[in-house]
Amino acid sequence: MDTIHLKIERPDRWDNAFDPQFPEREVDRLLSYAPFRDMHPDNFPKKQPLRVILQNDTRLRHFKRGEIVVRAGDYGSSAFMIIRGQVRVVLPPGLPERSLGRKSTVKRSVFHAIAQLWSNHRTPEVRTPEEIRGGDVVGEGAEARVFLQDVPRILDQNKTVTIGTGEFFGEIAALSRMPRTATIFADSDDTELLEIRWQGLRDLLRSDPALRAHIDAIYRKNTLSNALRAFPLFGHLSDEQLEKVKAQTQFGTFGDYEWSGDYKKLAKAGTHSPEKEALIAQEGDYPDGVYLIRSGFARLSRKFGTGQRTLNYIGAGRWFGLREILHNARNPSASIPYQFSLRVIGYTHTLFIPTKVMEEIVLPGAPADALPRPLTEDELDHDDDDPLKEEGGSALQIGPELMEFLTAGRYFNGTASMVIDLQRCTRCDDCVRACASTHDNNPRFLRHGPSSDGIQVAQACMHCVDPVCMIGCPTGAIHRDAAGGNVVINQSTCIGCTSCATNCPYEAIRMVEARDDGGAFVTDQELKPILKATKCDLCIEQYGGPACERACPHDALKRINLNRLDALANWLKR
Amino acid sequence: MGYFAKRRIIGGLLLLAASVAVIWGQLQLAPVMRQVGFLTGWALLAACAFLTLYNVRKRLPFLPLGNSRTWLQLHAYVGYLSFVLFFAHTGWRWPVGWFDNLLALLFLSVALSGVFGLFWSRLIPLRLTARGGDVPYERIPIVRRQLADRAKMLALESVTATKTTTIVDFYSQHLVGFLGTSANFWRHLVESRAVLTRLQARIDDLNRFLNADQRRALAELAEIARQKDGLDYQHALQLSLRLWLFIHIPLTYSLVIFTVLHVVVVFSFSAGVPPY
Repeated sequence: MDTIHLKIERPDRWDNAFDPQFPEREVDRLLSYAPFRDMHPDNFPKKQPLRVILQNDTRLRHFKRGEIVVRAGDYGSSAFMIIRGQVRVVLPPGLPERSLGRKSTVKRSVFHAIAQLWSNHRTPEVRTPEEIRGGDVVGEGAEARVFLQDVPRILDQNKTVTIGTGEFFGEIAALSRMPRTATIFADSDDTELLEIRWQGLRDLLRSDPALRAHIDAIYRKNTLSNALRAFPLFGHLSDEQLEKVKAQTQFGTFGDYEWSGDYKKLAKAGTHSPEKEALIAQEGDYPDGVYLIRSGFARLSRKFGTGQRTLNYIGAGRWFGLREILHNARNPSASIPYQFSLRVIGYTHTLFIPTKVMEEIVLPGAPADALPRPLTEDELDHDDDDPLKEEGGSALQIGPELMEFLTAGRYFNGTASMVIDLQRCTRCDDCVRACASTHDNNPRFLRHGPSSDGIQVAQACMHCVDPVCMIGCPTGAIHRDAAGGNVVINQSTCIGCTSCATNCPYEAIRMVEARDDGGAFVTDQELKPILKATKCDLCIEQYGGPACERACPHDALKRINLNRLDALANWLKR
Repeated sequence: MGYFAKRRIIGGLLLLAASVAVIWGQLQLAPVMRQVGFLTGWALLAACAFLTLYNVRKRLPFLPLGNSRTWLQLHAYVGYLSFVLFFAHTGWRWPVGWFDNLLALLFLSVALSGVFGLFWSRLIPLRLTARGGDVPYERIPIVRRQLADRAKMLALESVTATKTTTIVDFYSQHLVGFLGTSANFWRHLVESRAVLTRLQARIDDLNRFLNADQRRALAELAEIARQKDGLDYQHALQLSLRLWLFIHIPLTYSLVIFTVLHVVVVFSFSAGVPPY
């Protein structure tokens, strides 16, 4: 093996600009438009001046009428500002899948799969010159352009909203690490959009309070109807009724959006406990409204001894307090308080609908199948251990100890957590070897991690609902795969800053020393190794899914979505 | 009924049906076919070839060759069926001649080590999990070293802190050897805790002669000894899960070689007699 070190310049955040040929005059032009012209350069840190952010983290894109800008369901890591022309937002239910031109994940061909027998490198962590020095960038523009056919018919058959010059869109998905909620297409032939990758948008928002207020206002204006309509409970309301509900809806943001750091400190110190989490609603209080979880997670708990026992965790699309309000509406003389407490885990974004609005507008005429089961006498009896099936759900099947473990470790965040049944695992490490064979001769996970009740959550990327690893990435190298939503790392744009590895609360990202084709370590001018972040990619290019799961002979390892517990409950009782 | 129970019942029934089919087929064909042994022999060879392929599948995880769990199930049930095929092939009696004896012994060794391995693979994880303190096998020497270093430091510190050598003497006499290497492999396999109990008795005995500072140091050493015992337990059981494969797989390769020789010998001495 060649051991001579290849020396290169150490990669930097803006080595790979969003548009490497972004002309200075275009930056000048952008600075003449609102909101950039109203921003004070002095508000920006010296290392991240406004001009440099615009030059490196944005690019101008041109669209023709009917051309799709973003698609509902895709994961995107950039927001858009309309410079010229206008776009249309397709409101729910949205366009059929076939018209969106969605591409499927590219798998290796059978030949390429077999070719791995002789083409895989013998030394670990070999990177191509492009991966070492940087090459492509990540953004929606990298995809093939998709045009909608027969725009007049689409406008005729779907509800759409027009957004014009100076408006922003796509910022929620970019900043919340969630999928796009609507398809947006250009509505004029000369539509010019400024695409801002999320790192740039984040820095702009940090340094300019006016832009932050503007984005918040857009969110309140444009998103609330869709957010409410996503809940079946509001499906029967007329537009007029929905407007009344919107007017009374309160937004709530709890916890810290960048929660990973604090959580890691608390977890390391062993001082993390439910009682210390911010309270959203308290057991025993008057139910003054329904909380709808918009994003993030919250812990549903009940008093147990002197502490709180976790009953379940609830995520986006779930509600809290509805059963109590329904009970009180039907039994005015025997009203009850909240039966549980709701606490934030990490961060939680809620919509709060007051009881009066629920009783006067929402509940009358609500379809029976959109309403929860009424609370029974047994459930209301706090001394009774009778399980609360509505709230507990699958959590009851997995037991309180495991439930507490999953919640305290925040494993609910994982959509593909590596769960190992230690009572069946023979510790043979076939999973580790399979992973290494399919990934540069180096496994992308550790078969080790916290365990409870014979169940271990291994240190493997869980492909989180809320991937906090993406928060600090300066180049957008760690991003969501647009097709499947998996969190993947672009080796070309990874500059080895370790930000993702530090942010990941589950210790699932590892920094490795890159080697060149000859097997030699690559270093910078000071002979420090060039690092690259690595993690599980769910064998996105391989046949048959994750090699680790396929390699387990004893049915002991499974990639499970812990966001909902049904899959885990079913797996445990197998 | 759970998935595993269903899988066992279906697998068991299929195995039973296949076994009956083999025996029935042999009984039916014996009067009309001169050399049924050819048929059962080739069937046994095919079964053995299939069983060997599992190892190939394990080495090629990136090829679309199916799940390892399905392979293991097939490996186990085809393995059980090969017992039936083996005895059908030998005519339900022990073969004669040293070569065939050796071949039969090899086959049975491979088959029985496989059955043992499956049983062991189901039993040991339960024991490891029940005891707790799971440590990946490769990390065991590192953790052992850390425990030994901590114990050494505690013992040395006790000399300066208490101005006596009682603790360090006890450490030198009873703990250095115990902490330095993996110990009590066989005792852990049979769940014997005699060594730890004896060590604890010595600690309790020494405790009577110590002051508060020394007792604190000794209590920490006792905790380290308990952790080391747990580590030895992990080492012993995880090693046993690896060791049976070191018997099963080399024997398999020997069996493959001897089987090929057997086929060559059989055809060499068949003098062109057809199976019918």
